Amino acid sequence: MPYLLSLIIFVPIAGSLLTYAVGRIDRRAAGYAALAVSAVVLVVSLSVFWSVYSNVPPAGQYSLMESHPWISLQGFKLDYLLGVDGLSSPLVLLTAILGVLAVFGARGLVNDGQPTFYALLLFVEGSVMGAFTSLDLILFYLFWEITLVPIFFLVGIWGGEKRRYAALKFIIFTFAGSAIMLLGFLALYLGVPTHSFNIPDLAGKVPVGLQYLPLLAIFIGFAVEMPAFPFHSWQPDAYEQAPGPVNVLLAGVVPKFAGYGVIRIAIGLFPQASHEYAWAFIIFGGASMFYGAVVALLASDLKRMFAYTSMSHMGFVVLGAFATVASGNPLGMQGAVLQMFAHGLAIGALFMLSGFVQQRTGTREIGRLGGLGQRMPVAAMLLVFSSCAAMGLPPFANFLAEVMVISGGLSASSIVGVTILVPVITGGYFLWMLKRTVFAASDQTKVEDINTSDGIALAFYIVPLVLVVVFSFLILSPAAPIALQAAQAGGLP
Amino acid sequence: MDYLIVAIVALAAAALGTPFLQVFGQGRASGYLLIVALLIALAGVVSNTLYPQPSGSLGPLFSSDALGDLFAIVTVSVSLFVAVVSLSLVKPSANSPFYYSLLSFAALGMVLLSYSADLLMLFVSWELMSVPTYALAGFQKKKEESNEAAVKYAILGALSSAIILVGISLVYGLTGTTGIFAAAKSLSSQPFNPVASVAVVLFIVGFGFKMSVVPFHMWVPDAYEGAPTPIATLFAAGTKKAGFVAAIRVVLAISTFYAVAEQSSIFSLANVFAVLAIATMTLGNFAALTQKSITRLLAYSSIAQAGYMLIGFVIYSYAQGNPIYAAQGVLGLTGTLFHVVNHSIMKGAAFVAAGVVVLKLGRGDMAALNGLGRRMPITAFSLTVSLLALAGVPPLSGFWSKLILFLSVLNGPYAWLAVAGVLNSALSMGYYGLMIKRMYLDEAEDATQAREPIPVVVVLAVLVALMIAIGIFPGPVISFSQAAVPSAGP
Repeated sequence: MPYLLSLIIFVPIAGSLLTYAVGRIDRRAAGYAALAVSAVVLVVSLSVFWSVYSNVPPAGQYSLMESHPWISLQGFKLDYLLGVDGLSSPLVLLTAILGVLAVFGARGLVNDGQPTFYALLLFVEGSVMGAFTSLDLILFYLFWEITLVPIFFLVGIWGGEKRRYAALKFIIFTFAGSAIMLLGFLALYLGVPTHSFNIPDLAGKVPVGLQYLPLLAIFIGFAVEMPAFPFHSWQPDAYEQAPGPVNVLLAGVVPKFAGYGVIRIAIGLFPQASHEYAWAFIIFGGASMFYGAVVALLASDLKRMFAYTSMSHMGFVVLGAFATVASGNPLGMQGAVLQMFAHGLAIGALFMLSGFVQQRTGTREIGRLGGLGQRMPVAAMLLVFSSCAAMGLPPFANFLAEVMVISGGLSASSIVGVTILVPVITGGYFLWMLKRTVFAASDQTKVEDINTSDGIALAFYIVPLVLVVVFSFLILSPAAPIALQAAQAGGLP
Repeated sequence: MDYLIVAIVALAAAALGTPFLQVFGQGRASGYLLIVALLIALAGVVSNTLYPQPSGSLGPLFSSDALGDLFAIVTVSVSLFVAVVSLSLVKPSANSPFYYSLLSFAALGMVLLSYSADLLMLFVSWELMSVPTYALAGFQKKKEESNEAAVKYAILGALSSAIILVGISLVYGLTGTTGIFAAAKSLSSQPFNPVASVAVVLFIVGFGFKMSVVPFHMWVPDAYEGAPTPIATLFAAGTKKAGFVAAIRVVLAISTFYAVAEQSSIFSLANVFAVLAIATMTLGNFAALTQKSITRLLAYSSIAQAGYMLIGFVIYSYAQGNPIYAAQGVLGLTGTLFHVVNHSIMKGAAFVAAGVVVLKLGRGDMAALNGLGRRMPITAFSLTVSLLALAGVPPLSGFWSKLILFLSVLNGPYAWLAVAGVLNSALSMGYYGLMIKRMYLDEAEDATQAREPIPVVVVLAVLVALMIAIGIFPGPVISFSQAAVPSAGP
């Protein structure tokens, strides 16, 4: 099928209009329509994933490519260019899985204006898919930007108490970040003699002198989106205020734009500059890891804690990717790809659970959630499991990813070894949180536990994490050519 | 030129004919007549675009080129939707026929101005466009702000006309001709003369008033706020664009033949435009951040957008002395023209939406937007799309024109303008986002639904469809803008 990638972008976007239209007729039907659309996307995404896995394209080449001229003028050319490789296919699959789960989770957690909610959720899914499959910088930017607008509404309309403030802050920060990123793209277009926005055309052709400033501009855009310390100020607010199903996409896939962009664009197009300044980016990633973990330790709100966890875990992605560039050891970058996949699922489960906990108990404050083990036994059990995943305990994929990233980092410099403290702190604050919630005694009454179908849906976040450890080759081997290429850019065999 | 005669005659007939409809009472008949005339005029200018006639059949006063076509289509279309929304936004009264007549004169002035190739013709069209708008700005004669707006606008407008006239007389004195092309050519054969530079500065000042370029923008917020909202729409989307076509026709045409100052000099034309551009966009955006009134905010946003449009002027005039930048200069002016088209659509939609809000809710402060998403869903949606387009969110039309503008200057000595433009775009999200937040996230004190008039809904739907369509398929409009970039010569 030549149009597989267009399908995973435009089926959700068209489905979002369909869902809204169906919802105007019958409110309840909107949920089923959205679920059906996201299920179709999941099936197509599985086939995309499989076609990449079964025939891994070598570095710099892509599967399922689609190319159409879009704007062609004297002095300005743009193509509609899509393609996937071992870096984007796990992210496409992750988006599709989280898309289904977010739609499913919205059923119980969102009450007002459901048709619009589902429609916006599907729109986000489609535009995220677009960002992961675009091989044209402007197309990538376009999909990135149109993801922000529906999220603004999703957070601002369906969010918590301070939703309006959080939504406005979110859109201003991310818009500013991406505007700076766009400058980098434009500079690249002008600087490369072929005058192209196509990533395959640009790869390996960017003159070394042109690499530094655009890399900085583009990386700032990624750092805001990810977010990385010190560009993260919007993130705790937005994550805290967003409703659970939105968090699944907002924390699960949107930061992956940045992780993906770091590997595909920052490292892929600027190998020399990345190599030269890899140490700076490693420090940068490490700072996010530590900062997120330490602040999470102090957080008193469940969602705020998960938000900082997410920031800390995205720091691993930056560190792993640049460790490979610095050292020539592909392990770090492979770990980063795996980390993106694993983090998305684990953080999705945590945010969904915090949504359910808040709905049933009326609070997310860790200090007031004592006795959760008795009050909501199933939710508590799932919270324990997903916390174990997030803190990187075996047998969850997060463990494997963090081990790979840190050992990749060690091959860059032994100083990176201090980051081993991050999983320690992470384990500490998660266990402390569990102690104060699930395992604390409480005299408060039992509340309604999550129902079976939601429990099963939550298991779908956690089970793949175990499966991916067993079948880690499904993600690691398609990612190998990219990691090896980045390693060679570092100048080492 | 035949098609143009049709357009000119239709508009002139409507301008002279509508006042007679007063005998039929206060009805909207004059409005409908004007709409018909504008449709005929639009058909005329579109036909002239599709089937270009050899220039010159109307004499040397006009040049029937793609540049004129582009601006004529924009200004006639703007007048058309201003006329349509006036049907519901302006209360029918005994004076209605004169309102539409004045509108028709202004539209005629803008069409003639678009094609003017002679300084005197340009000046006459300029006045034909301006004088009716002075009266239109003060059309709500019982409203104090409307009167204030009209007086302020008329005085500064007359001043700018006088300044232009001085510029024209200087050029005539130097060259003995009022033909723009002939004058420019004659200047190029003379030794450098500071008087010519003074004339160019006077032109920039005079046209700058209409273009709402800082520091000639003082009248803009007051006039936009005080004038009836359809007329504010006409100012933002129409007459402002006339300022741009005049500046392109005169200042940029002269610059292709004549170095206004030594290229290396700090006072080169490109440097002047660069300073104006950055001052205009920055001041516009910062001032917009703190506004309490919707129309005033949109006025400042309109000033900021003029700053983006000037970016094309910078690189185009720079390219005249530096041929290696020729392609970039063309690209930059393409961006300006494309942004002119887009801005008319985006700002037009925003002002029309603001007009409905003011009419139906009886207030124009920012808090009137609260909960608009539920109270007036179509208006709120259209306003949101136009604000996102103005902010430059892809894939809406405004994104592409800004992209081209920034791309055109990023290489070369004015790269800082692109950086300033991008930072300004990001800044503008501060107030656009705030407006969207008010419409959809904040709750209204009074949540009753307000009925949205049909003509307005139609206009908004067309404009929103255009913003999305141009956003997804920008190719044809960019090509048209590129074709409209004047090459050296007539």
